[in-house]
Amino acid sequence: MAGVELSGVTKAFGGFHVIHGLDLKIDDGSFTVFVGPSGCGKSTLLRMVAGLEDVSGGVVRIGGTDVTDADPVARGIAMVFQNYALYPHMTVRQNIGFPLRMQGAAKKTVEQRVSEAAEILQLGELLERKPAQLSGGQRQRVAIGRSIVRNPDVFLFDEPLSNLDAELRVSMRVEIAKLHKTLGTTMIYVTHDQTEAMTLADKIVVLRAGRIEQVGTPVELYTNPASLFVAGFIGSPRMNFLSGTYVDSFVTLVNGVSWHAELDIDGSAEILVGVRPEHFVPGPASVSLPLSVDIVEYLGGTRYVYAALPGESPLTIEDRGADDMQSGSSREFPLDTSKALYFTPEGKRLYALG
Amino acid sequence: MAVSENGDEIDRRGWRYRARRSWQRHWQLYLLILPPLVYFAIFKYLPMVNAIIAFKDYNVVAGVWGSPWAGWKHFSSFFGNLVFWQLIRNTFTLSAYYVLASFPIPIILALALNEVRLRAFKQTVQLVTYAPYFISTVVIVSMTILILSPRIGLVGDVFGLFGVPAVDFLGRADYFRHVYVWSDIWQTTGYSAVIYMAALASIDPSLYEAAKVDGASRIQKIIHVDIPGLMPTAIIILILGVGNIMQVGFEKAFLLQNPLNLSQSEIISTYVYKTGLLNANFSLATAINLFNAMINLVLLVGVNAVAKRVTGRSLW
Amino acid sequence: MVAFNPDETSEIARARLKKRSLNVQLVDRLFVAAVYILLATFLAIVLLPLIYIVASSFSSPQAVSAGRVGLWPVDFSLRGYEVALRDPKIVSGFLNSIFYTVAGTLISVVLTIAVAFPLSRVDFFGGSLITKLIVFTMLFSGGLIPTYMVVRSMGMLNTPWAMIIPNAIGVWQVILARAYFRDAIPKELYEAARVDGAGDIRFLLLVAIPLAKPMIAVIALMYAIWQWNSYFDALIYLRTDALHPLQLVLRNILILNTQSNLGDATAMLERQQLADLLKYSLIVISTVPVLLIYPFVARHFTKGIMLGSVKG
Repeated sequence: MAGVELSGVTKAFGGFHVIHGLDLKIDDGSFTVFVGPSGCGKSTLLRMVAGLEDVSGGVVRIGGTDVTDADPVARGIAMVFQNYALYPHMTVRQNIGFPLRMQGAAKKTVEQRVSEAAEILQLGELLERKPAQLSGGQRQRVAIGRSIVRNPDVFLFDEPLSNLDAELRVSMRVEIAKLHKTLGTTMIYVTHDQTEAMTLADKIVVLRAGRIEQVGTPVELYTNPASLFVAGFIGSPRMNFLSGTYVDSFVTLVNGVSWHAELDIDGSAEILVGVRPEHFVPGPASVSLPLSVDIVEYLGGTRYVYAALPGESPLTIEDRGADDMQSGSSREFPLDTSKALYFTPEGKRLYALG
Repeated sequence: MAVSENGDEIDRRGWRYRARRSWQRHWQLYLLILPPLVYFAIFKYLPMVNAIIAFKDYNVVAGVWGSPWAGWKHFSSFFGNLVFWQLIRNTFTLSAYYVLASFPIPIILALALNEVRLRAFKQTVQLVTYAPYFISTVVIVSMTILILSPRIGLVGDVFGLFGVPAVDFLGRADYFRHVYVWSDIWQTTGYSAVIYMAALASIDPSLYEAAKVDGASRIQKIIHVDIPGLMPTAIIILILGVGNIMQVGFEKAFLLQNPLNLSQSEIISTYVYKTGLLNANFSLATAINLFNAMINLVLLVGVNAVAKRVTGRSLW
Repeated sequence: MVAFNPDETSEIARARLKKRSLNVQLVDRLFVAAVYILLATFLAIVLLPLIYIVASSFSSPQAVSAGRVGLWPVDFSLRGYEVALRDPKIVSGFLNSIFYTVAGTLISVVLTIAVAFPLSRVDFFGGSLITKLIVFTMLFSGGLIPTYMVVRSMGMLNTPWAMIIPNAIGVWQVILARAYFRDAIPKELYEAARVDGAGDIRFLLLVAIPLAKPMIAVIALMYAIWQWNSYFDALIYLRTDALHPLQLVLRNILILNTQSNLGDATAMLERQQLADLLKYSLIVISTVPVLLIYPFVARHFTKGIMLGSVKG
């Protein structure tokens, strides 16, 4: 087992930089998720840890050893690919045993380790099948099986669930989380799906255009995002953003509703107010917001109300009321201003003082 | 620049780094590719070096490098030879005739096959017309000679039906080109049609549906959908044919040759063989070959430039 | 002024369309008939000569020599095959050809994979230069005599090597194999194998070759048929009769009319008749092996042509 350390890592194709001098420490035994929109460099970063992509600058260390120029196999890593990358002409047994055979392990050892892995992943009856005869979820389990037989120091997952249907994705997610609990090995997981990131990670690394936007636990990222980008990216449904002004310790929205807040700026400024859908609730610091209702989605216990200020894009409101709500009607919604977050129009977080 | 653990500076840019990295990672592949590279060096590039004897008076004892220089002597003796223009004319005419005559027939076959809905019939025609492609040149030429033989051949019988004395196709120089070209078309039409069949198969089916909705007849559909769809492939094949026009294969012409048709059947490649290997005049034969190869190269490069402009992509 | 009636105009239009589609249907039917006639003609032109050759080969020497055979054997006899299979030259040619074909194909396929696989790897430094150098040999060559000199200086003249080595690698086959390795085998498999600790050679042997079987079959058949059918290398490199492949033996008997061993036939006339018949039997004997496997490989060959059209 080992931690992973990146210092000053860059990646350039020709003159074009995809990763800009990036520093990151991943703790031994942790589950770290790289998340970000497509093209942010998360997969490239993972492939650099794996050794499938050369680094253009900087140092990669695994378990304290410099592996910047080492072959993938020498790094003590195992990787699960997005499209599984199973060898189509080999049976499940041969696929799982392949890395061990490459190490020159004895036949007996291979057999034993393969059946151990098969047991963990419930692949027992499928061992003699070819990948083409398996379902997507089974293939993914075989790919994971192939990675665990080697007892790697670090597991790498490159969007492993994106080819599965929604239901299977949830159950595989649980299986991967269990696997991490059982093995306790360092895992790095790449996804563009923030739900996967939130549910799996000990620590999330949000990437944007080749730079780290924020690193933190899921709760930290959710409650205390460092930027507009992170605030908007983490959480589903998305955080709502209302434009407003900040003058003399007062925040005023376009419709004139205002409240007191001490922000870390001098004088007055245009700002964006971020409110999560679940923060439209009454409380000691609540203000009342008159909105016109667009659409109501019922989800059973809760419902999402899409409602807008005149001239603004609709807000998403999580509501637990049971009363009848007509689309097109107008009504007042409470907004808990103590939970509101503030940003500059450029996306910087404005922290409240005190 | 990056600094490695032991403090050395590693420049990760430039070809030197990529070359070293590629060697570290793929040294097995470099070993693997070595024997084929040696093959190409010895059997393809060494002959290009040996071709220097075109400018020398080669003799076996002195070897390639020891033989005395002769300058352009062999070239000028070839250009000055009466046979020069005859060879050029024979080679060019035969080839041009072949390119033009063999161009439309596979297209017609492919278009016709594309109209057939009976799968069994379609497959039979394809399988049968494709088959001659696998017959050897020796056998094709023998079949041609046997069938055209006035004494025992099939064609003699046909002439006999009409009470006309059989023509000796192989005994008269005028017929050589027709025999050469049409026997080749007989052999390769089915094969060439396959390429056009694939081009037809890749035409967007919605075009056919649109034509049907517009009330187009089958002939109109062929003219407005099929033929435009075939054009890019057809142009490339025609251009390639033109590019290879001075490169008529030795094998067939040599086999069809006899003393009676030599005035039209002697082409550059057969003449090179006779000069070089039968008359042992290595330098002259190499000079003629080199001259021909240069024409080919110029033609191919020129034709590729045209192809690039017409189709937007290079042939190689 | 006539009142504009939309219903009426649409009715006229419909009637016109109906009439037109009737015309179209008639023309289409005639056209389809013409297509079938045309294809039947193609079929006949290809088939008749083949049938004639086979029919003649099963006829009597007298009937063949007198030109009496059409599309059905006359005076059925196996004399031609008997003479052919008793001729030691033909038998040795047949055996030689089998040897050259098997050995040549084996070497060609191995060398082709050895060059195409490295060139299919994107990060193989020097790959594009090597590819260019190889493709160049398709555009320009030193020529017959300089190549002959190389083969001579290698000591290959008049040895079986001359049939196998000088034309061992086909550029076209290299391009085809490279395109297949690069496009048909997912790059993730290569990456997975690297993570699993398989080096390039083990990846080639354990993953790439098993997955490239269809392509390897195609290029093997291309080489095999080329090797079986060619006579030119034998003509220029081989002197000894005992080394001659079947095609060269055929050329001597079929085209140069070299008398073969006609067994017990002594009379002049009989010799001539047998010599005529022998040609037909020989054509059948030499072509049957290729045409027997052809229907099974035709599909793959078609695929091969298409693979080749994937640009390198």
